[in-house]
Amino acid sequence: MFSVITLGLANYSLIVKQPHSTIEILSSDEISDDPNAEKSFDMMMDVLMHKRCVNCHPAGDTPLQGEDSHLHNFGIVRGEDGHGLAGYTCGTCHQEENNKISGVPGAPEWAVAPAEMVWEGKSRVEIATQMMDPARNGGRTPEEIEKHLTEHELVLWAWEPGIDAEGMPREKPPVPVDEYITAVKNWIHAGAVIPAQ
Amino acid sequence: MMKISFTINGENQIVDVDGETPLLWVIRDGLDLKGTKYGCGKAACGACTIHVEGNAVRSCSYPVKMAEGKNIITIEGLSTGDNLHPVQQAWKEEVVPQCGYCQPGFMMATAAMLNEIPKPTDKDIDQNIINICRCATYYRMRKAIHRAAEIQSQSPSL
Amino acid sequence: MANKENREKSKGLRRRKFLKYSGVGMGLMLGGVWVSRNYSRRYFFDLVETMVPTYIGDTSPLVWIQISPENKVIIHSSKVEMGQGTFTSIAQIVAEELEVDIDQIEVTHAATDTGNVDGFGTGGSLSIAGLWKPLSEMAATMRLMLSNEAAARLGVSASQLNLENGKISAGGSTITYGEIVAGVTEWSFPDAPKLKKRSDYKYVGKPVPRVDLHDKVIGAPIFGIDAEYPDMVYASVVRSRLVDAKMSNFDTSAAEKMPGVLKVVNENGFVGVIANSFFEADNARHKIKFDYTTNKVWNLSDVNEKIKVGNGKKIIFQKEGKAVDDIDEEGEIIEMEFSTPIGAHAQLEPNGAVAYYQDGKVELKLSTQVVDFTRKEVASALGIDKNDVNVIPTFLGGGFGRRLHTPHAVQVALMSKAVGKPVKCFFDRKQEFQNDTFRPPSHHIMKAKVSESGALLGLEHQLASGDTMFNSALVPSVSATILRADIGSIRGGAIMYDNIPEIRASYYHSELPFATSYWRSLGLLANAFAIESFLDEIAIRTKQDPIELRLKYLSDNNPYSVRIKNVIKACAKKAAYREGIVDGKAMGFASTIDIGSPCAHVAEVSIEDGRIKVHKVTVAFDCGVAVNPDQVRAQVEGCVCMGLSASLYEKMDLKDNKLHPVNYGAYRIAMMRDVPREIDTVLIQGTDIPGPVGEPPLGPIAAAINNAVRRLIDKRLTSLPLNIS
Repeated sequence: MFSVITLGLANYSLIVKQPHSTIEILSSDEISDDPNAEKSFDMMMDVLMHKRCVNCHPAGDTPLQGEDSHLHNFGIVRGEDGHGLAGYTCGTCHQEENNKISGVPGAPEWAVAPAEMVWEGKSRVEIATQMMDPARNGGRTPEEIEKHLTEHELVLWAWEPGIDAEGMPREKPPVPVDEYITAVKNWIHAGAVIPAQ
Repeated sequence: MMKISFTINGENQIVDVDGETPLLWVIRDGLDLKGTKYGCGKAACGACTIHVEGNAVRSCSYPVKMAEGKNIITIEGLSTGDNLHPVQQAWKEEVVPQCGYCQPGFMMATAAMLNEIPKPTDKDIDQNIINICRCATYYRMRKAIHRAAEIQSQSPSL
Repeated sequence: MANKENREKSKGLRRRKFLKYSGVGMGLMLGGVWVSRNYSRRYFFDLVETMVPTYIGDTSPLVWIQISPENKVIIHSSKVEMGQGTFTSIAQIVAEELEVDIDQIEVTHAATDTGNVDGFGTGGSLSIAGLWKPLSEMAATMRLMLSNEAAARLGVSASQLNLENGKISAGGSTITYGEIVAGVTEWSFPDAPKLKKRSDYKYVGKPVPRVDLHDKVIGAPIFGIDAEYPDMVYASVVRSRLVDAKMSNFDTSAAEKMPGVLKVVNENGFVGVIANSFFEADNARHKIKFDYTTNKVWNLSDVNEKIKVGNGKKIIFQKEGKAVDDIDEEGEIIEMEFSTPIGAHAQLEPNGAVAYYQDGKVELKLSTQVVDFTRKEVASALGIDKNDVNVIPTFLGGGFGRRLHTPHAVQVALMSKAVGKPVKCFFDRKQEFQNDTFRPPSHHIMKAKVSESGALLGLEHQLASGDTMFNSALVPSVSATILRADIGSIRGGAIMYDNIPEIRASYYHSELPFATSYWRSLGLLANAFAIESFLDEIAIRTKQDPIELRLKYLSDNNPYSVRIKNVIKACAKKAAYREGIVDGKAMGFASTIDIGSPCAHVAEVSIEDGRIKVHKVTVAFDCGVAVNPDQVRAQVEGCVCMGLSASLYEKMDLKDNKLHPVNYGAYRIAMMRDVPREIDTVLIQGTDIPGPVGEPPLGPIAAAINNAVRRLIDKRLTSLPLNIS
């Protein structure tokens, strides 16, 4: 683990080099030099903080469910590897695609995010910082994060979330998928700069 | 319509059916194995629980097309010949069932749990067994699960 | 042996000898509204003649008991098995008096064609209570018939015979029942002989394993939804999603074109799709378009406005003294309101039927609690004679009162007629939730006057609720005028503490825009919640022990009070009831009597992570003779856990005419983790006949939990489900 100090007013940046990753926290002056990157960051975070994503990045052991993000029925817990327990696993009900008849959502590798990847209740800066930290993101590089965020079927499921048991379509993230993908790429390629606040 | 082949209770089967058909109906009506039940059709109650590749799966929310090439066990296949599975034996010893409708689902979920947790604590049982029993036979189920674990530990590997 | 010719011949004998059985069980049923004196008792006893008995059917052994040449005994039961263990008790009673090994017996549901049809139905916890005497006498009579025949065959006198396990022997010769039966076509009916002495019982009173245990553990296809016929097709019917609304302007054109569809029926007041598979029928059904016309907009607040004490038709059902406001003696008046929500049955096997209409006759296989009524409804709707309808009941995947209404059987029969094939049709889970015959919500005002010295001068219970028994299959509509009260909703609502000087109970009846009817124990859950929570509150405020308070106000003057007191004492003792909080846990006590069976609970409860956790429930229960004590315990355990579920989690909501939730999970029901780790049951035999078992143990649980919570949070909760957030 490392610690990062930010001095907002001084033109001072501390760059810590870790193997395979770079995290930069710049002062607001430097951020304002690249307004597109910040706009991309906001767009990306608008998606990542949407319930379709946060529902499976819960603060506790139980994932969230539904448009009101209530605790998943039946006291489901993430288990050791995010796939549930033994009497049931996520795969007991969730398959690799949405089920129109039962209303159960599905996508490949359906699971609850590990405890290191709690997003519920966190700010966008906290989530982004966590997401880019290899100690907490499964050892991923920014390139791998970019790939995950833009290509992984479980992530992209958010735009095809199917219908629920009542036949009601689930709400999609507020940014269309292609714009989101562009935003992620822009942001990563611009240095994955996380704003100070 | 598509042809889907899988193994069920040790036998190879090929069905020709709309691939989106929930496996539950293929099992019950196509293959006449009625032990697996319909309770809700929305994966909420567990009455339809079967094993797919050894894992508990709620067959009402599992389209038959996904069964291609899989190894499936239903309650009918839990026993071998006349020999009841330890879970079934324990269920009998503790006289668990009342109406009996939900019981196959519970036994399948329990068998799946015991495969990975051979000596479950009460807490394990509480966390792992999440099916619904309206007659509320849970009290005896808990006893039966402990007994099943005991029986299983005493028998040679099945 | 159940030979039609014999049945016809014996009908005359049967009527003469067995007519007396048609009135059995009445006293027990009236015990449901337990009263101790004067007005109410007279009121109800006057109605004895008009009340339906708990079993009205054939009591000929030839109709009930079939003996095969292989010496197997098949009992055709007109009471259905829904988990309550009736089949096992029936087998025990018959094995006892018929002198057969219980393993020789198979109990099966009597098809109406056998002639064994119970006009009452299965419900009210009255099957064994109602059948105990007639079944014992039938089995004993059959034993005598077999003995007489054996004596003749073996050339000995009856006294020389030895009967054991379905075999009769004398002087070195043995003949089985099956062999006896094989040779006889005409039977004469002796008078019923004396029954066995209790001390000689081999089966009754013993924890015999359930006779349906093996089938239920291997997943045998015994339920209604498992029933089949060759060449059967499947149907799905459109059912309303809204209350107080009519469906019209059906457009079935898209449905008709869907794959697998054979026919869409739109007549006789319903619309259904018939197809080659359930999946195809249901997919097509979802393509049917139609309009709703709502009569009035309904939300839960409208329901709550209606179901309010003071609103609706008032009926006083207990009047033993003055109203609390009219008591002269000095004292403090304490008043509290309570309420309970709409409750769903949510039994796991959905309702439905399989029907086969052929040549003007129809056969049905279905889960029903009212076999005879199902038959009559189908016959009437099809315009055929009821004897041309054969109803074959199946094992029920849960009853709880839901299957006392089976109008869907009519739909399936009509669809079979329309398509010329056997048809299977079942509700889906959403249809179950939105077309249930719910437990009606309730509102209560409890009022008491307490003297300065803490004496209870008077107690009043005012209750408002919806129908349970009215508009139902079990009680004809004329009952509304005769009874002037809905017996179901007031069940458990009368105050059983007969030493309280002034007692009153009244009921305000309203109709709701959705079906409300029997839910296990009917009004008992709600009424006991109100009365027993209130009494506990009085105990706390007057600084009296809640157990002592109850014992003080139960007299020794009538058998019920004495039995209740014994149950209270036994429960308190077994639980080592104590006040205060120990290790974070408090105890709560409650006691009830329901249809003659007293029950008391002590619940041991803590608050964990902001939730009510019930660790242990101690139960004392008096059902008289426990024919199968293990199954009585099973019913107690089931009642405790189902009652806990209703007390802590369950409630239906209503918004814009839509009842919801519509599935498990959202309609939260107790799971494994929610039920106590310990349920300790003491069985007491307070009378020498079997009494009701399936429902009475539900009575005390809501208040017992609430009373424990009261001590934990120092606050009185007054509505179900209990919520401490």
